[in-house]
Amino acid sequence: MEARGVWRLALPLGIAQLLFFAAPLLLLAGTSFSTDENLTQTSLRAWREVVGDTFHIQSAINTLRLGALAVCATALLAVPLALLHLAAGPVLRRIILIAAVLPLLTSVVVRTFSWIVILGREGVINTTLMGLGLTSAPIALLQTEHGLVLALTQIEMPLMLLPLIAAMARIDPALLDASASLGGSLFRTLRRVVLPLALPGLLAGATLVFASATTAFISQGVIGGGRLNYLPALVWQNAMVVFDWPLAAAMALTLMASVLMVAGLLSLLGRGARHA
Amino acid sequence: MHRFSGGDKALALLIMALAALALLVLVGPVLVVLITSFTTSQALRFPPPGLTLRWYQELFDPVRSAQIHRAAGNSLLVATLTAIAATALATGAALAIARSRAGWARFAEGAFMAPLVLPGIAFGLAALMFFSWLHLPPSLWLLVAGHAMIAGPFALRTIGASAAGLDPALLESSAALGASPWRTFRRVVLPLIMPGVAAGAFLAFVSSLDNVPVSLFLSSAQTDMLPIRLWGMMETALDVRVAAASGVLVAVAFTLLLVMDRAVGLVRRMSA
Amino acid sequence: MTEFNRRSLLAGMGAAALPLAAQAQTAMTAAVYPGGWDEALANVLAPALRARHNVSVAFDPLFAVDQIAKARAARGTPPFDVFVLDPGPRVSGIDFSLFESFDPTRLPSRGVLPDGYADAQGAAVAAQVVGIAYNPTKVPKPTGWRDLFQPQFASKLGLTGFGTTFGTISLIEMAKALGGSEANMDPLFTELRRIKPSVAAVAQPAAMPGLFQQGQIDLMYTNTYTVTLLRSRGVPIAFAVPETGAAAFVTTMHIAKGSRNIAAAYQYIDSMISTPVQTALAAAPYFFVPVNKDVTPGEDVPMRSISEINRFVTHDWSVINPLRAGWISRFNREMAG
Repeated sequence: MEARGVWRLALPLGIAQLLFFAAPLLLLAGTSFSTDENLTQTSLRAWREVVGDTFHIQSAINTLRLGALAVCATALLAVPLALLHLAAGPVLRRIILIAAVLPLLTSVVVRTFSWIVILGREGVINTTLMGLGLTSAPIALLQTEHGLVLALTQIEMPLMLLPLIAAMARIDPALLDASASLGGSLFRTLRRVVLPLALPGLLAGATLVFASATTAFISQGVIGGGRLNYLPALVWQNAMVVFDWPLAAAMALTLMASVLMVAGLLSLLGRGARHA
Repeated sequence: MHRFSGGDKALALLIMALAALALLVLVGPVLVVLITSFTTSQALRFPPPGLTLRWYQELFDPVRSAQIHRAAGNSLLVATLTAIAATALATGAALAIARSRAGWARFAEGAFMAPLVLPGIAFGLAALMFFSWLHLPPSLWLLVAGHAMIAGPFALRTIGASAAGLDPALLESSAALGASPWRTFRRVVLPLIMPGVAAGAFLAFVSSLDNVPVSLFLSSAQTDMLPIRLWGMMETALDVRVAAASGVLVAVAFTLLLVMDRAVGLVRRMSA
Repeated sequence: MTEFNRRSLLAGMGAAALPLAAQAQTAMTAAVYPGGWDEALANVLAPALRARHNVSVAFDPLFAVDQIAKARAARGTPPFDVFVLDPGPRVSGIDFSLFESFDPTRLPSRGVLPDGYADAQGAAVAAQVVGIAYNPTKVPKPTGWRDLFQPQFASKLGLTGFGTTFGTISLIEMAKALGGSEANMDPLFTELRRIKPSVAAVAQPAAMPGLFQQGQIDLMYTNTYTVTLLRSRGVPIAFAVPETGAAAFVTTMHIAKGSRNIAAAYQYIDSMISTPVQTALAAAPYFFVPVNKDVTPGEDVPMRSISEINRFVTHDWSVINPLRAGWISRFNREMAG
């Protein structure tokens, strides 16, 4: 386990990804620069259609924006819950851990139904609000961006919580006590002791949530509806209904490149923070 | 938050409130599914007009739900193999990345995330095109390979977050004491990153179990997958067994989690 | 590390061999729509095929568009022996030459089909009748496609686009009712733009039953099959035949090019159209619309025999398919925001 030659440990994953991911990806890239999926003739048509069409550009922006909103919303809720986990006793810790993974256990299929139940015009939220007299008419939640972000917050929160909790597990409780006994305020303890150590977890979570929310094709379609346009649905449509594989490939690669850029940025931030 | 005694009360309250909201958001939709799974109505409906265990009985009926059982068996098998493969590959990569400051590590960290950000439908399509081009017919192994590509980044990111905090001095002293790399890994590294590895394996497992787009292309009649079957049952008939299937999964995972929790706790105690 | 890898992979390999065990008899593979079709064909057709021809069939549950995409991506090594398709994907399959040429004389039961239902491409195995589905406890029965654009109906309406066969022909029928045609969809898009802010949902077809059951929408366009199936499960839903007539089309089966089970594939399709199978499929809980002239359709189907299908509105998909990409793109844009 010396630092020299440590790269060899990454080799198996690297080779597997070359074989099973990079090679198909290359084929996809080839398709995007071609007139059809048999790569008979090169053409820039698909890329021109992606880049030269404001509708597609707007859809790409919508998708990235959705990812950013999902990251903010999940972080806003997951960080406090992870802090509670850190401070909690064994029973509450177990409850939090179980709650943290619950969303992953309900199949994406039935999840769509439960969000219709919650966000719908006659749904749980609207019934509650109207019962409390907070609103007289049902407010639109289903098929809106807010509704979709809320649903994604639930669906993606485990991806934020699990790395956060794992990262915070390394915080020595003695450190917290020491900070408190030295008269540090809660705010100071969090900022100086907890957050720096939790940061790798937070950034890992942000990457996972961002990537997952931007490609969550079924949730985007069913909860977001047809009035909101995101790239994954357009990829599906072009690949499966219109059979324009070059265009579908170009869109998929556009999405991938833009999300990777964000992920790369987050990873740089993480390294900067770690080695500061 | 007893450990933060003397701290800022308002901040503590805000944290508690947000944490409570987080719990509500996490659990609420799952409760809806669980409650729905006990409905007396013939189709998915909330709130249910009455409660019954009938849909669980139907789900476990070996004749009427035979196809679901077969698909569930396939999905569990693929998810298990995927979790094993993804976790093993990702643990190695995560350790390598965490221990290196070289440029390649930064590049690899980004590159390894790529499968996560390609829309699943595009990857599934491309993978099938590629395998067909190699004249490889759809098989369980290709399906696992495809799932492992998607699950790998989940495992890598989660294990990486744990590995990032490893103290190099600890590993060097273990090596200096004459421990083989494998022994150092098993005795020193693994216990330290175990929470991350367990979380990574779990994420890999569930991401495979719930995968629709890759299975759509790489599965065959012999490797019929559960989420695709559930999708059809839901779409055409609002079949309540779809909710009951989630109920079963929650119960199983609940048990598994308690067992895993014990195991991780055990490992931690042993390392102490 | 490597030792760890090898051991865990080997352990997995042993466990993996089980579900791939080979089957006896002649074995073939057929694509089938997931859900109701899958269940019906597995319970009715598969036993009949085994009894009559000693052929066992494994089903690959795939929607029509997925079948085409999968077969195309597989380039000549078909992932299944038989397709089941609606007219839109059928025409795509013909365009991409995914089918073996079909010889209707190899179907001993072909006499039960109306003329033209088995051709050089494949054979019809079920019909679909498309119209308006509404919740009779919430909204009055709509009289036709134009009603959907009235405020009291539009605010309860769930719209789907041109992604499915039933969605496409419903939207075409709306365009016609509004004074347009396949060649001129402008009147439809003008009206859609007008009602867009008030419609209850613009959603994927898969979401429609759930939206309907939970009261988000009370009107949608769909086929009689879905209406009967949902009503049999207690959902308050009824089928309205539009005044301009319900639209009908047939679902067809085709043999995949390169199939190595051609004889079994013919036996499979022949069993599918046979009177006992069609009778069982037309009854509860499956509710298929039979194409067999000797079988009476269920009560929701506004015809007493497939021979009456000429009274229904039908569409020429070789005209529609080339236009469809443009409509899909336009629908996306018009509905955005």
